[in-house]
Amino acid sequence: MNINTKIKLLGSFIVAVFFIAYSSVQAQSDPSGTKRVTSTYAIKNATITTSPGKTITGATILFKDGLIQAVGTNINLPAGTDVIDGDSLFIYPGFIDGASSAGVTRPSEPERPANFDSSNPSDELAGITPWRNVIDQVDMNNNAISDWRKAGFTVAHMIPDGGMISGKSAIVVFGSSSSTNILGQNTALSTRFRGSRGMYPGTPLGVMAKFRDVYKNTELSAKHQNIFASNVGLNRPEINKTYEAMYPVINKNIPVIFEVSNDLEIRRALRLQKELGFNLMLLGVTEVDKVISEIKAANATVLLALTLPEDKSKNKSEKLNEEAQGRTDRVKEAYETALKQAGMLEEAGIKFGFTTSGAKTGDLMKNIKIMIDNGLSEDAALAALTINNAQNLGIQKFAGTLEKGKLANMVITTAPLFTEDAQIKHVVADGYVFDYETKPKKAANGNKNGNGAAGVSGTWEYVSDTPAGSSGGMMTIDNSATGYEGTITYDDPAGNGKAQATMKNITVKDGKMSFTFDVSAGGMEISVSVNGDLTDDQFTGRMSLAEFGSFPLTATKKPNQSNL
Amino acid sequence: MKKLNYIIAAFLVMVWMPSMGQTPKGSVLIKNATVITITQGTLEDTDILVENGIIKKIGKGLTANNVTTIDAKGKYVMPGIIDAHSHVALDAVNEATAPITSEVQMADVVDPYDIGLYRALAGGVTISHAMHGSANAIGGQNITLKHRYGTFNPEDLFMKEAPRTIKFALGENPTRVHGRGKNIQPRTRMGVEAVIRNGFNEALQYKKAWETYESALKQKGATPIPPKNDARLQTLVDILDGKVIIHCHSYRADEIYALINTCRDFGITNIVFSHVNEGFKVAPELAEYTMGASVFADWWAYKFEVYYSTAYNAAILTENGVITSINSDSGELIRHLYHEAGKTQRYGQLSDEQALALITINPAKQLGIADKVGSIEEGKQGDLVIFNDHPLSVYAIPQMTFVDGVKYFDLNEDQNDMRIRVSANEMVEPIFLKEHDHNCMHGVDFFFTNFGRNLFEHSH
Repeated sequence: MNINTKIKLLGSFIVAVFFIAYSSVQAQSDPSGTKRVTSTYAIKNATITTSPGKTITGATILFKDGLIQAVGTNINLPAGTDVIDGDSLFIYPGFIDGASSAGVTRPSEPERPANFDSSNPSDELAGITPWRNVIDQVDMNNNAISDWRKAGFTVAHMIPDGGMISGKSAIVVFGSSSSTNILGQNTALSTRFRGSRGMYPGTPLGVMAKFRDVYKNTELSAKHQNIFASNVGLNRPEINKTYEAMYPVINKNIPVIFEVSNDLEIRRALRLQKELGFNLMLLGVTEVDKVISEIKAANATVLLALTLPEDKSKNKSEKLNEEAQGRTDRVKEAYETALKQAGMLEEAGIKFGFTTSGAKTGDLMKNIKIMIDNGLSEDAALAALTINNAQNLGIQKFAGTLEKGKLANMVITTAPLFTEDAQIKHVVADGYVFDYETKPKKAANGNKNGNGAAGVSGTWEYVSDTPAGSSGGMMTIDNSATGYEGTITYDDPAGNGKAQATMKNITVKDGKMSFTFDVSAGGMEISVSVNGDLTDDQFTGRMSLAEFGSFPLTATKKPNQSNL
Repeated sequence: MKKLNYIIAAFLVMVWMPSMGQTPKGSVLIKNATVITITQGTLEDTDILVENGIIKKIGKGLTANNVTTIDAKGKYVMPGIIDAHSHVALDAVNEATAPITSEVQMADVVDPYDIGLYRALAGGVTISHAMHGSANAIGGQNITLKHRYGTFNPEDLFMKEAPRTIKFALGENPTRVHGRGKNIQPRTRMGVEAVIRNGFNEALQYKKAWETYESALKQKGATPIPPKNDARLQTLVDILDGKVIIHCHSYRADEIYALINTCRDFGITNIVFSHVNEGFKVAPELAEYTMGASVFADWWAYKFEVYYSTAYNAAILTENGVITSINSDSGELIRHLYHEAGKTQRYGQLSDEQALALITINPAKQLGIADKVGSIEEGKQGDLVIFNDHPLSVYAIPQMTFVDGVKYFDLNEDQNDMRIRVSANEMVEPIFLKEHDHNCMHGVDFFFTNFGRNLFEHSH
């Protein structure tokens, strides 16, 4: 990981040098070819849900430089607007993730000192690092982030990974890779009931006690600082970076976000909150039915997990005896209760939001639909993805709904959200438009190439590991009337840079793809053939270079971005 | 099956619906029973009226309106059994990472879903002392639980009127975990004593620092700087101030006597010794200087320091005037503590009342709750067990168990599945029918090498 980071850093350094060298003489040029033609867009004649329960049909939304300019049915579009035809499309506010771990890596543990005392380790070793900022841990170009954007998320509350107090969270927008994309830093203190291995605090017992200790001593440290500032002849305060980093929490400027795995952990977090008085967000809430009134009384923010259990009792067809049947019935009952959690929160009037933490992108719509079938209203489901989390994160002033003056964050689907046919066609994040391939409806699927064909068109990034090292490039595939056409770039064997070749014999069938291309090296033509397995946007296969052997090749399809 | 679910649901609803804010209190009239009061003799053909959780009246021919009446003719009623050393209903037992962890609280990790609570009720146990483990010289603060099984809220189980208690541990466990396991003090029995004495001395300094600060605050215009907060030392201060009862895991007479001396040096009188297998050697000292000893009936030889043991221990201690109790330290033994008490009649010829006191009023005294529970007296809490036979008979089986006048166990309504929480993720959750391991060292395996683990297979 470290080496990779270094290479990346080196890469960006070279790119930076390149730009510095050329920008003075060619300030107007765009050598990378990625600059967008315009930053003003309009989507015309769509069905726009500006906030849960408020929908306008035949409406247009105009946004410029990342800001919504107008939403309505009678809007004048300025000259130079890139107009996207919205006929039969549905527009919703971009989803906001209440807590995300996408692209976040856990910092490595520091070395233990020679005189290490497991009963009294340093804060850092014990997982108490409130001074850390998640921005230092998150890779905004990580695939996990583009995957969640593809699923509709435009803003996320990034949670740092680590020990019991891992650091401060940040709010980011999933916009252009040329921006830092930071909407807010140090927005909450991230905590969990995670002990340190082989040292104090090692169990929830110690974590609870240590949390109280850190909190109370932060209060005393702040008091000491205040007294010292306004008096003379006093002992100086001992500066302690743990306590300093905790000041915003004791001053109630930021909440404590507690990761919880069940109702008993929710109660533990509530117990600490009751004793110490901080503002509390609960992350990854499950089994909430047993503790709903207590959460309400504590006014804690609920970030509900998107994960759901599987129905374990489903495939029990054989005849069970009474005792086994009774047990199966109770598992079934527990499963059904798990599906109702979101609906119960809505009924209790708790404005919960969803968190993707611990979930897979495939869970999102599948599980929300199950929750809707089990008592959650569609409006509340949309609110939990948008406006509620805007409020939970304190960014409702500029995000969460589609209104003039708010960030141009939206999800554009081919059918009403939460319906079976809904597919995401575009995601707009921070005013940047990301295009996605939509599959034709199953019934209309007459694709001659069979399985897996619909998603092949687009730009793919591939990597191949050869004995000479890792190499890679881009593949661009188009589906034309006569079949697939494409080009592939590769490291030019003749020296520097990339060379390009035409992909031939592209075949997509039964979840497999194969093609060939020719490489000329030293006056010799080498025929390269590639074949492997295809799933949605991943390709895993091997590349054969005639007598040189065959090497693994993996490729990932990039989300189509209109104009970056 | 629907009917079964309905019954379970109805039962659970009955139990926890009134629990909003306050734990449920029940009323019941038990008629015509043989009442073993423990403190006031055995009363034949007697009625007990519990109103709103409290024993209102004991006598003959009692009547009450709108109160459930149970005819217990031919049956025996005794006070709810109290287990002075248990680890039932805990999510974590040992914070085995420091020799002193007096800041940690078992109240933080109570698991109200533990089926062990229901099994304990089925054995007539209404109160257990949920303790920290024995990995540290000074462990965590324990919590006394009333077995109000059926609630989702751990705090509903807390016996709020019970005084604070704390776990101490002597001998092989703390020296193995810290000395041998991590190469820090204590490595020997001497080291354990030093850790405890140093702890108390530091606590005295801590107390003084805060007292100096508080008194400086009262002076006009003063700007004193607050000392650091240290819940670990504050708890030790509270022990020194007599607000916390020590329950100390111990086996050998020498170290028991050594800790008695340490306590005397620091003016501590609230101390109970647990396990205390060699207690019979220091019985007069235990009688004079402590709140007693909580022992096993006949369990020993699971490690070197527990070889010198006798089944006469409880009887010898009792005859020497030591407040003695018999505890379980196990989710299995807790189901039949009345059998354990009965063993003292085979080994030591204790009377019925002496034997039953070992699991009722005596543990109540050791937990500081003898004015509220532990015997059947008017004004005490309505924690009662109805047996089909005399509880010291080998044929005795608990029929019903009441806590605060609420029935939590009834043999005739005992369902197949009494779990409160069921996992949606597992078709069959692991259920351990046998629990022979003592729990004191729960969760500290990590610190041992394979050699250590094999050598000390037993772990309390």
